[in-house]
Amino acid sequence: MAASILATERLAKRFGGVIAADQVSLAVAPGELRCIIGPNGAGKSTLFALLCGIYPPDAGRVLLKGRDVTAEPAFRRVRHGLGLTFQTNRAYHSLSIRQNLEIPLRAERLDRTHERGQHLRYALDEFGLDPLDERPARELPHHRLQWLEIAMALANGPEVLLLDEPTAGLSPEETRQTARVLQHLNRSGLTIIVIEHDIAFVREVAQSVTVLHQGRVFAEGSVESITAHEDVRRIYLGRA
Amino acid sequence: MRGFRLLTGPEDIGRSAWFWLGFAIVVAGIYGYATLISDFDASNLAYYLSNIPIALGLSLLWGYCGVLSFGQVAYFGIAGYLYGIIAGNMAGNDWGPLLAALGSLAGCAAVAAVFGYFIFYARVQMWIAPILTLTFTLLLETFLGQTAGYQWRVGSVQLGGYNGMTGIPSFQLAGLVFSGRSFCYYALTFVLLCFLFCRMLVGSGAGRVMLAIREDALRTELLGYDIRARQLTVFVLAAVLAGISGLLYVQWGNYITPSQIGLLQASLPVIWVAVGGRDSLLAVAISTYVLNWLNYSLSSTGSEYALVIIGGLLVAVMLFFPNGIIVALARDLPRHGWRAALAPRLAGH
Repeated sequence: MAASILATERLAKRFGGVIAADQVSLAVAPGELRCIIGPNGAGKSTLFALLCGIYPPDAGRVLLKGRDVTAEPAFRRVRHGLGLTFQTNRAYHSLSIRQNLEIPLRAERLDRTHERGQHLRYALDEFGLDPLDERPARELPHHRLQWLEIAMALANGPEVLLLDEPTAGLSPEETRQTARVLQHLNRSGLTIIVIEHDIAFVREVAQSVTVLHQGRVFAEGSVESITAHEDVRRIYLGRA
Repeated sequence: MRGFRLLTGPEDIGRSAWFWLGFAIVVAGIYGYATLISDFDASNLAYYLSNIPIALGLSLLWGYCGVLSFGQVAYFGIAGYLYGIIAGNMAGNDWGPLLAALGSLAGCAAVAAVFGYFIFYARVQMWIAPILTLTFTLLLETFLGQTAGYQWRVGSVQLGGYNGMTGIPSFQLAGLVFSGRSFCYYALTFVLLCFLFCRMLVGSGAGRVMLAIREDALRTELLGYDIRARQLTVFVLAAVLAGISGLLYVQWGNYITPSQIGLLQASLPVIWVAVGGRDSLLAVAISTYVLNWLNYSLSSTGSEYALVIIGGLLVAVMLFFPNGIIVALARDLPRHGWRAALAPRLAGH
């Protein structure tokens, strides 16, 4: 198996008496499309923040392309090839669509991927976004704002795309369109990690799934094995 | 051409060629006006103009980068005192004032870099920045206030405690001394260059990143920008602009006292910037000039309440034009109508 492009080793984070991440070890291979699922309070958002460097972990390591980035600030992880979108939309609402895309395009990257332009152009076409649009982003409907944020992350030229609930608030058709685009990007070589609630979406896109529960990795495997897993069904899928 | 494109960027009022033609006519008019008025009026004109750079710096820092500093006058004072110390010790040397000016601005930048490093690299919450910056200027005022004794001198220059430093040399280049009317031309040119530089900065890609940081600092960091370094750079630039105002002030009046960096003076740049509209350099430059003129006119006609009136104006503007009065009239009104211009938050802007 190829070396992991993104991995964590026994990652731990505690907030007061609450253990939000407990010995989380993950290994995502290059070109994989991994979904991370779990019920509310499972530690998904904490894991997202630890991966992108918003919080420092109490223990454990984060490895990006084999390099230990645990002590590195968030912007350096991005420069090393991590691209991400947030659970709540954080496109710049008062700036124009063009400016929203221009800001990540201008950002410094240490090792640019040659696919960047192709990935971005493909996503803009499929999402129906005009990179020269001078309208303020706040005039876009919700689904296009979500897509704009994905396009912004792609404009960064990432090698690993980390998406926190990219389909939140989208209609079934918009969700399917998002799935189609992510699958195409993945097939063209981009590693994608999706933290997601929507099981239908996970079934459609995921190659492998990690289930978090009470801050720990509860199960890991293919979509089929996870959906057939009795304990996973009990803690999570049964309520989906 | 690239320079003109940067000047006409979308981040400030006035983008058309007609605007810049009007701007050139107004600037030429001010130069012409300075030749016609008395020496006394030219001196007043220079004083009003000398306050514009500190306001432009605060506009960059607060309006464009989202960091409010309540202590910009600290750098005004540092530049003023340093200029006085260096130029005073080089009295008789034709190049002394120029070296003093450069040295004092370098001193401002160095102090701001060290102080700003602790603010931004410690990642303090941005609402704490005004408290820290105000505390810094008040500490500096207190320190300078107790420097009355003979032991508080640097070379041949006395710091002077609350009586301040007097006899500060005027600016000169080789044998050409700038005082009276010539100082007015010099100040106008200096302020004009500061304005054009700031406009080009906000029109550039770096200006767009400043706006992105103001909008959402975490998002911007997670697009790969070291926001601490960016904020620190703007903080240092704003300090240098405040220093330019301090420099012009001591070259104009040949003295400086610690009260120039006290609480009252610290609040004035915030008022000038807020009344005009903090995210427009043009609005800030106009409101700074007009409010200084108004303050002086009210004071000189015997009104004891000049500052009360200025403060009342701030309250009224904040209530009715929270984005600033000039920004509301010149930008929000044409774009969104009266309702948005008067109360942007109510209208969802």
